[in-house]
Amino acid sequence: MPNGYMKLLAEETARTFTVDGPLKSITFDFLGREWVISESVVVQWVVMVVLAIFFFVLGRNLKVKPTSRRQMIAEYIVGTFTGQVDDAMGPNYKAYRPYIGSLFCFIFLSCIMGIFGLRNPTSDVSVTGAWAIITFVLVFWTKLKTGGVKGFLKSYVEPAPFMLPFNIIGDFANPIAQALRLFGNNVSGMVIGGLVYFALGGIAGGLASIGIPAVLSLYFDLFSAFIQSYIFVTLTMAYVSMADAS
Amino acid sequence: MCMKLLAEGNTLQLVNINFDTIIFTLINTLIIFLLYKFLLHNKVMAVLDERKEKVNSEMNAAEAAQAEAEAVKQEYAQRLEQSKEEASQIVAAAVKRAGEREAEIIAQANQEAAAIRIKAEESIELEKKKAINEIKDQIADIVIMASEKVCEKEISAKENEALINKFIAEVGNE
Repeated sequence: MPNGYMKLLAEETARTFTVDGPLKSITFDFLGREWVISESVVVQWVVMVVLAIFFFVLGRNLKVKPTSRRQMIAEYIVGTFTGQVDDAMGPNYKAYRPYIGSLFCFIFLSCIMGIFGLRNPTSDVSVTGAWAIITFVLVFWTKLKTGGVKGFLKSYVEPAPFMLPFNIIGDFANPIAQALRLFGNNVSGMVIGGLVYFALGGIAGGLASIGIPAVLSLYFDLFSAFIQSYIFVTLTMAYVSMADAS
Repeated sequence: MCMKLLAEGNTLQLVNINFDTIIFTLINTLIIFLLYKFLLHNKVMAVLDERKEKVNSEMNAAEAAQAEAEAVKQEYAQRLEQSKEEASQIVAAAVKRAGEREAEIIAQANQEAAAIRIKAEESIELEKKKAINEIKDQIADIVIMASEKVCEKEISAKENEALINKFIAEVGNE
C-alpha cells in the first residue's frame, strides 16, 4: 500500500469508487513550517460551533425550581455524565466529569457529521489518535500522582518482574487500540456506506440508491456513533481508574 | 472488478498520522472541554447543588416546624386538661359555696322568723296587758258610776243585786 487511497473500478461501466483521506483544506506558513488544516479539523470547527450553541442554549438561565424542558434536558445530560464518571471512577475523580462529558459530545457529533454530508473527523486516525494521546497522558499522570515516582516504576514490575515488557507494551497498546477502534469503526462505516451507494447506483439507473443507504446510514452514523463514543469515554475512564495506585 | 490504491494531489492519505491534525484536535478538544465546563457543566452543577442545599434546609425547617407543632399541640392538650380540671374545681367550689350560702340563708331566715314571732308574741302580750289594764280602768270607772247610781237611788238589796247583775251583763256585752 504505497498510498492510503482506495479506488474501486468497475471496468465494464467505467465507474469508479474511491475512499479518500481528508482534504487539505487550508495551508499556511507559521513558525517556519507549512501547517496543514485538514478537512477533519474544519469539520471539527463546525462541530464546535454546533456544540457551543447547544451548550450555551442549554446552560442559559437555569433555575433552582426548574420551569423549562430545556433545563430538564441539560440536567439529564450533565447528570448522566456525572453519574457515569462517579460510577466508573469513584468520588476522587470529580475533575473528570466535564472532560468525559465534553469528550462524549465531541466524539458523538464528530461521528454523525456524515448525516449532513460532511466527512466525519473520526474517520481520521490523527483525530482519534489525539484523543488517545490525552488518555495516555492522563493515565501516566494518574500513575505518578497516586503512586509517586516509586509506585510508578513499581507498577511496571508487577505482578512479577518478567512482566516489565508487557506492562510497557500495555501502556502504549491501550491508547493505540482505543484510537484505532474508533477510527476503524468510522472509516469502515464510511467505506461500506460508500460501497452500497456505489453498488446501488448501478441498479435501476440509480433509483435504488434512494432509501436503502438511509437505513445503513442510520446504523453507521447514529447507532454505531453512539456506541463508539460511549466505548471511547468508558475506556478512558477505565484506563485512568486502573492507573490509580491507591 | 479490481481494487486499486490511488493517490490524488489535494488529499491526505486515508491512514496517516498528521502532526498538524493532532495539534489542532488537541486544541479543539481543550476548547470544547472549556465550553462544556463553563457553559453547561458548572452551571448545571451549581443549580443542582443549590437545589440540594435548599431541599436540605427546607426539610430541616419542616422537621423543626413539625417538632414545634407537636410541642405546641402537647402544650395545648396539657393546658386544656388543666383548664378542664380548673373548671370542674371552680364548679365544685361554686356548688359548695352555694350549698353553704343556702344553709346560711335558711338559718338566717329561721332566725329572723323566730325573732319576728317572739316580737309578735311580745307585742300581743303587751296589747293583752294593755287591754286588761284598760278593762280594769273601765270597770273601776263603771263601779264608781254604779256606786254613784246606787247612792242616788233608794234601792233594795234585791234591786241592788239585780242592778249589779244587770251591770255585769252590760260589762260582758261591752
